[in-house]
Amino acid sequence: MQRIVVDAMGGDLAPEEIVKGAAEASIAVADAEIILVGDAAVLGGILPRLRHDGARVRVHHASQYVEMDEKPAEAIAAKPDASILVAAELVAAGEGDAMVSAGNTGASVLACARRWKLIPGVRRAALASVYPTELRRGDRNDPFSLILDCGATIDASAEDLVTFAIMGSAYASLVSKNRRPRVALLSNGTEAGKGPAAVVAAHQLLLESTELNFIGNVEGLDIPRGVADVIVCNGFVGNVVLKMLEGVSETVVRLARYAHKEKLTWRIGLMALSSALSQLKAVTDWQQYGGAPLLGFEHLFIKAHGRSSAHAVTNAIKVAAKAHAGDLCGHIARGVADVTARQRPDKIPAEGSA
Amino acid sequence: MTTPTAPRHVFRWDLDKTYLRTEFDSMRDLIKSAIETAADKQAYPGATALLRALRAGEGHRVCIISGSPSQMRTVLAAKLKLDGVEADEFVLKNNLKNILRGRFRALRAQIPYKLPALLESRAGSPPAPAETLFGDDAEADAIIYCLYADLLAGNVPLTDLARILEAARAYPDEVQRTMLAAERAPRGDVVKRVIIHLDRRSPTAGFRRFGPRLVPVFNYFQAALVLYADGLLDARQVLFIAFEMLDSRQYQLPILANSLQDLIRRSRLAQPVATRLAEELRDVARDAPATVARPDLPPFDDVARVFTDRVRELRGIAPLPQPGTAPVLDYVALVDEEHVNRRERKRGRA
Repeated sequence: MQRIVVDAMGGDLAPEEIVKGAAEASIAVADAEIILVGDAAVLGGILPRLRHDGARVRVHHASQYVEMDEKPAEAIAAKPDASILVAAELVAAGEGDAMVSAGNTGASVLACARRWKLIPGVRRAALASVYPTELRRGDRNDPFSLILDCGATIDASAEDLVTFAIMGSAYASLVSKNRRPRVALLSNGTEAGKGPAAVVAAHQLLLESTELNFIGNVEGLDIPRGVADVIVCNGFVGNVVLKMLEGVSETVVRLARYAHKEKLTWRIGLMALSSALSQLKAVTDWQQYGGAPLLGFEHLFIKAHGRSSAHAVTNAIKVAAKAHAGDLCGHIARGVADVTARQRPDKIPAEGSA
Repeated sequence: MTTPTAPRHVFRWDLDKTYLRTEFDSMRDLIKSAIETAADKQAYPGATALLRALRAGEGHRVCIISGSPSQMRTVLAAKLKLDGVEADEFVLKNNLKNILRGRFRALRAQIPYKLPALLESRAGSPPAPAETLFGDDAEADAIIYCLYADLLAGNVPLTDLARILEAARAYPDEVQRTMLAAERAPRGDVVKRVIIHLDRRSPTAGFRRFGPRLVPVFNYFQAALVLYADGLLDARQVLFIAFEMLDSRQYQLPILANSLQDLIRRSRLAQPVATRLAEELRDVARDAPATVARPDLPPFDDVARVFTDRVRELRGIAPLPQPGTAPVLDYVALVDEEHVNRRERKRGRA
C-alpha cells in the first residue's frame, strides 16, 4: 500500500482543490492511503461533499499553515504545527511513504531538510521540473524533459552535478518509463571544455564514473528541442532558465491575444489553428504531469504547482505513488553508491583543471 | 399447531451492489451477471460475516428483497448457501412477466417494485418491533427505505403515497397493489436504522437530508461499528467481520482504522462508543487470546494503538454536527431528482 501524505493547506487554491484532488486519488489510485494534513474541522467539512473512499482517506490535524507569500525560514520557525512540517514529520516517522504539497516552495524544501535525511552519498538535494519539448520520450511518450536543479541548491559542485544526473536519470526511467534517459549538462557550448569549472569537471566524471546515457553538454536552445531527457545544472542556472522559459511562454500567449484583437486576418489565422493549439495545450499541460520532485532525500516529495487544481493534485499523488512503488529513492541510493565506489580519490578531477 | 413467535428484529437486505459485487451499468455487465455461476459471484468483504452475525441473534429475521430477476433465484440461492447465509424470505423481481406484458418501464423501475414488496413482507409475517434496512447508492434505495419507514410511522399519509407513485411512473396496478399493502402493513416507528453501502462512492453529504437514522457506509466494517453502537452486534462479532475483510486482502488494518475515523468525523459514531468497543475487545484478547491472535497481525495492543491513534490525530476537533431529525421529506421532489440523476448517470456512461 502506498501512503501519500498531502499538505492539504498549501497552495493558492487550498484547501478546497487539494482535498478534491486527494478525494479523486482515493478512488483512482489503487491500493493507496491518502493522509490529509491540515485543519481537521475544515477538511472534515469539505470531504463529505466529494466523491471519495472514506476508508482510504485519513485526516491528521495541524493547527497552522504557511502562507504562500511568507518567508520560509521565519514561517517554519514561528509555526511548529504548520501542516507542511507535520506532513514531513509523519513521513519521517514512517507513517507515510511520500509527500505532496502545492504550498510555499521554500517552506516545503526547508521542512524536508529539517525533518528528513539525505540519501548516503548525496550532499545536496535537487528540485526537478519538467519542460515541454518537441520530442517525446519513453514508453509513456512523455513530451517533457526533466531539468534539475531548479533552485534547491544554488551553487553545486561537480560531484553534486553528477549526483543530480543520477537522480534525474532514475526519476525519468521510473516515471516516464524511459529505459535509458539521455542525460546532458547545461552549458554555454557543447564542447567538453566549455563552461564553469564545476561543469567541466562534472563532464569528465559523468563519462568516467557512471553508466548513465550521458550525451555531453547541451545549450539553452536545446532545452525546448528536447535533445536531452534529463538536463543537469545548478539551482541558480536552473531557476533562471525555468523562469525565462515561463516568461517566453506567457509572452507568446500575450502576443496571440494581441493578434486576435488587432486584425481580422490574424484572427482568422488563429481560428484556423485553434484545434492544433488546443492539442498543443493539452500535450504541454503541466497539470498532467503532477509536479516537481525534490530528489536526494530518503523520502520523496512532489512539489505541485502553487496554482494546482484538483486534477493536478490527483496527478501529483499518482506520481508520488508510482515513484514510491518503483522504489525511486532506493534506485537513487544504489546509483550514488555505485558511483561513489568507482570514484577513487585520485580519479576525481580538480575543478578548474580542464 | 404452534403459532410462529413474533420476531424481535427484521433485517431487510438488497442483494446487488449491497451484498453482491454486481455490475449492471452496461448490457455486457448484465449478460455477465446473468451467466455467472454461484461460485463466480462475489460478496463484498465483511458482508457475509455481518449477515451471519445478524441472523444468529435471537428473534432475528433476514429478508432479502432484490431487483434481480426471479429467473436467477437458483443461482442466487446457491450463492447464499455457499456463503452459509440463511434468509427467512427471498423476494426477486419477475422481469420475464414484465417483458411478456410489454411493461418495459417496470424493468428498471425501483420504487414501484421494491416499496410494495417491503410492505407486503411486513404485512405477511408477524410484525417485528424493529427493522434495519440495507441498500446501496446505485439506485433509489435511500428514498424507498425512508418512504417505507415514514409510511409505517404514519408520517406520510396514504393520500400522498398515490402522488409519489405517480411521480415514480408506476403502472396503475402497481399503485393499487402498493396502496393495498400500505393499508395492511402493521404501523409503528419500527425502522431504526438504514445502512446505505456507497458502492458508487457518492458524496456522503447528499444523505444528510434523510436524517440521523440513515448512515452511508464505505464498507461493512463501518456498518458493523454502527450496528455495534445500536446494540445489535457484540465486540467479537465486529472483530470477525474485520477478520473477513482482512482475509479478502482488499483491506488492511490502517484502512479499517481510517474507516473508524471517517465515521467519527461524520458524527456517525461517538468517540465513547469507539472507546467502549476497544475495552471490550481488550477483554476478549485477555480472556480468549486465541480468538484475537492471528499470524498476519501484530499483537493486540499494537492493533488497538493504530485505531486509537486515528481518533487521537483528530485532536478533539469538533466533527460535523449530527444530521438533525429529518423533517417530513418531500418524496415527490426526491423521486423527480432521482429520475434526473439516473438520466445523467446514463449520459455519463454513454
